[in-house]
Amino acid sequence: MMKALRQEAAKLLQEKRAALIIGFAEREGHPALFISKPEDCERLFYDVSCRQNLAAYLSKPEVSARRPVAIVASLAALRSLVVLTAESQAAPGQVLALAVDKDAFLGTFDVAGAAELLRSKYPDLGPEKALLERVGELSKKSVVERAAFWAEEFAKCTRCYACRAACPGCYCARCIVEKNAPQWVSTAALGHGNYSWNIMRAFHQSGRCTLCGACEAACPQGLPLMVLNAALDREALEEFGARPGYDPEGKPVIGSWSAEDDHSYMR
Amino acid sequence: MKTEKADVPTPTTFEPRITAFVCNWCTYAGADLAGTSRLQYAPNLRIIKLPCTGRIDPLFVLKAFENGADAVLVSGCHPGDCHYTSGNYHARRRWTLFRKLLALTGIGDDRLFFSWVSAAEGQKFADLVNDVTAKVRKAGPFQAAHPGRKA
Amino acid sequence: MKTIEIGRFSDLAQALSTAGYRVAAPVDDGGVVRFKEWTKGREIALGAVPVDSVKDFLFPRSEVVARFALEEAGAFTPVPVERFAPKTVALGVRPCDAAALAALDAVFNWDYRDGSYNARRAATTVVSLACAKADAHCFCISVGGAPDGTAGADAILRPADGGSKLVFEALSDKGRLLEAMVSDGQAVPDAPAALKKRFDPAAVGRWLAANFESPFWKEAALACLGCGACAYACPVCHCFDLQDESDRKECRRLRNWDSCGFGLFTLHASGHNPRPDQSARWRQRVMHKFSIYPQKFKTLACTGCGRCARLCQAGMAIAETCERIEALGR
Repeated sequence: MMKALRQEAAKLLQEKRAALIIGFAEREGHPALFISKPEDCERLFYDVSCRQNLAAYLSKPEVSARRPVAIVASLAALRSLVVLTAESQAAPGQVLALAVDKDAFLGTFDVAGAAELLRSKYPDLGPEKALLERVGELSKKSVVERAAFWAEEFAKCTRCYACRAACPGCYCARCIVEKNAPQWVSTAALGHGNYSWNIMRAFHQSGRCTLCGACEAACPQGLPLMVLNAALDREALEEFGARPGYDPEGKPVIGSWSAEDDHSYMR
Repeated sequence: MKTEKADVPTPTTFEPRITAFVCNWCTYAGADLAGTSRLQYAPNLRIIKLPCTGRIDPLFVLKAFENGADAVLVSGCHPGDCHYTSGNYHARRRWTLFRKLLALTGIGDDRLFFSWVSAAEGQKFADLVNDVTAKVRKAGPFQAAHPGRKA
Repeated sequence: MKTIEIGRFSDLAQALSTAGYRVAAPVDDGGVVRFKEWTKGREIALGAVPVDSVKDFLFPRSEVVARFALEEAGAFTPVPVERFAPKTVALGVRPCDAAALAALDAVFNWDYRDGSYNARRAATTVVSLACAKADAHCFCISVGGAPDGTAGADAILRPADGGSKLVFEALSDKGRLLEAMVSDGQAVPDAPAALKKRFDPAAVGRWLAANFESPFWKEAALACLGCGACAYACPVCHCFDLQDESDRKECRRLRNWDSCGFGLFTLHASGHNPRPDQSARWRQRVMHKFSIYPQKFKTLACTGCGRCARLCQAGMAIAETCERIEALGR
């Protein structure tokens, strides 16, 4: 698998289909690796412990200045690429994906090809069972218990925004938490500011999150962010049939509407 | 105008503070009609008028809870009646997801209410406020220990 | 000789707590080891380097530094803020984190003597724990520290008898006050963790002072995603942001941690940003630690705890950057 990935990456650089390859390095922690010379492709590595979603780099100015770019992309990162394209954040024809899934190299795809691959081979990607069980367990608790659970978790948040940096979907040049006229979200790493921040981070991903898990993996304090993401993913699917990351021309769930949407909770 | 006194709950009676975000064209006009029709309803609501439900950012709701609201009501034009064509449809999608997120993090549907009230529905508005107030009174004060509450 | 059985370590925390101290110690918190306030019955996790350091107890992530009562027509009255500086023993502090206190003391007593920092510092007794083990990210030895270093500590605990005991040694008057809580015993101290020197900070500093404009920075910072995980975990980083938050009754002035990794950190009101990209921000981080700070305070702003590298999602490792810089300077 590794051999095919390295060869393909080197070929992209040789044929000038990509000027920059972003992949994972072999050394401990598997940090992101930036390659522009074909011979360096030997250093590329991938296995399931590579937790970063490399699509997050596509909004970094230093990276977009070096297009065309190819990223090593897990299935979730492929979906992120499709979401970014649907939201006009990935220049068409300028981004390629070296698709990987667990221990298989799937080939090189442009965005349309990635969407086609996902639709035909992986049409049902969603939260893992264990994650949904955690959501289920939490839902069974009383509101007071749920509040207590999150009070304890959010209290750990230092507001380092590693979750935001990790997420390809968090590409705003200026995040809502950085807007201070008025200051909607308190920047103090204390109770209510931490609550607002974590709620808004999750909410702004609703119907867009591809469940890659990079935010939770990046959190130094180990906050269970994926519980929020998974709950919203299932809700958006059930209510609006949302499957983010399958259609590069699809409209975002929030930002579109249907007259048929359920509103039984409205009085 | 000073209405501060009514805000302060005494140990024996709990008077809920409910923040309402309403649209200018339908629910606010509905509330106005309730007033001009001399309909009496619970005085626990503080109305904040916005152009459209589409303008109501979920952050407004968090801010209200942060600053002492026991409950929040969001109300606007019935589907099809939005004066900006589709603001309420956009808002509806947002609320459908947002209320689930809040429920999961400890703000349940006894604290967060949504309704459609048209400019002609003064009676519906009065009934709604009475009903919401009764429900929140039953639910009691918003828990001081909730992480979303300002310490 | 004063010794403690490893299994009875929380007895010491209990004794300190009974004696009226607030106890801070590494605690396993659902799989993440945090340096936090110890509460009765909790086990102290001595194995791993905690994600937070003793810094959090001296310079908290958010602190109210002033309050104003708001009145009608824009008038306000300052309200005194009670200084929070309880008598504290920080137990099981890593030698790298204790060494960081010299750098914090320097900056918080430089042109302005920071009242709340100094009050908490004076009220805190630092009991460090020598490291018998180190991981791949540890590099204290490269920046003038040691796994059994005593800098910044009021007392040190050294693993002994193959890790089954700890030897307590007081290093200051504050530390000697705790001696009575530890019983006499005999034990043979274990060897401290073996670490190899990875780079020479003086050589790194020399290269940095002359290479502000080097193309090295562009390439070295490509992976950085611009979060604050490294700065917030760092036992030395001490940048903060003052924010006023008010409602209709009160205004609170807060001092919150800030990080040079954020784009907003240097953004001017005009819209101009003197550090326009992540490479300028990463350069600032490295230069501050190995060039600017030592020039100003005669001490490095890095103690080799390795937290930044351990926690960085993108694998930015400052020791590796220093190794590369040293090689560039040769």
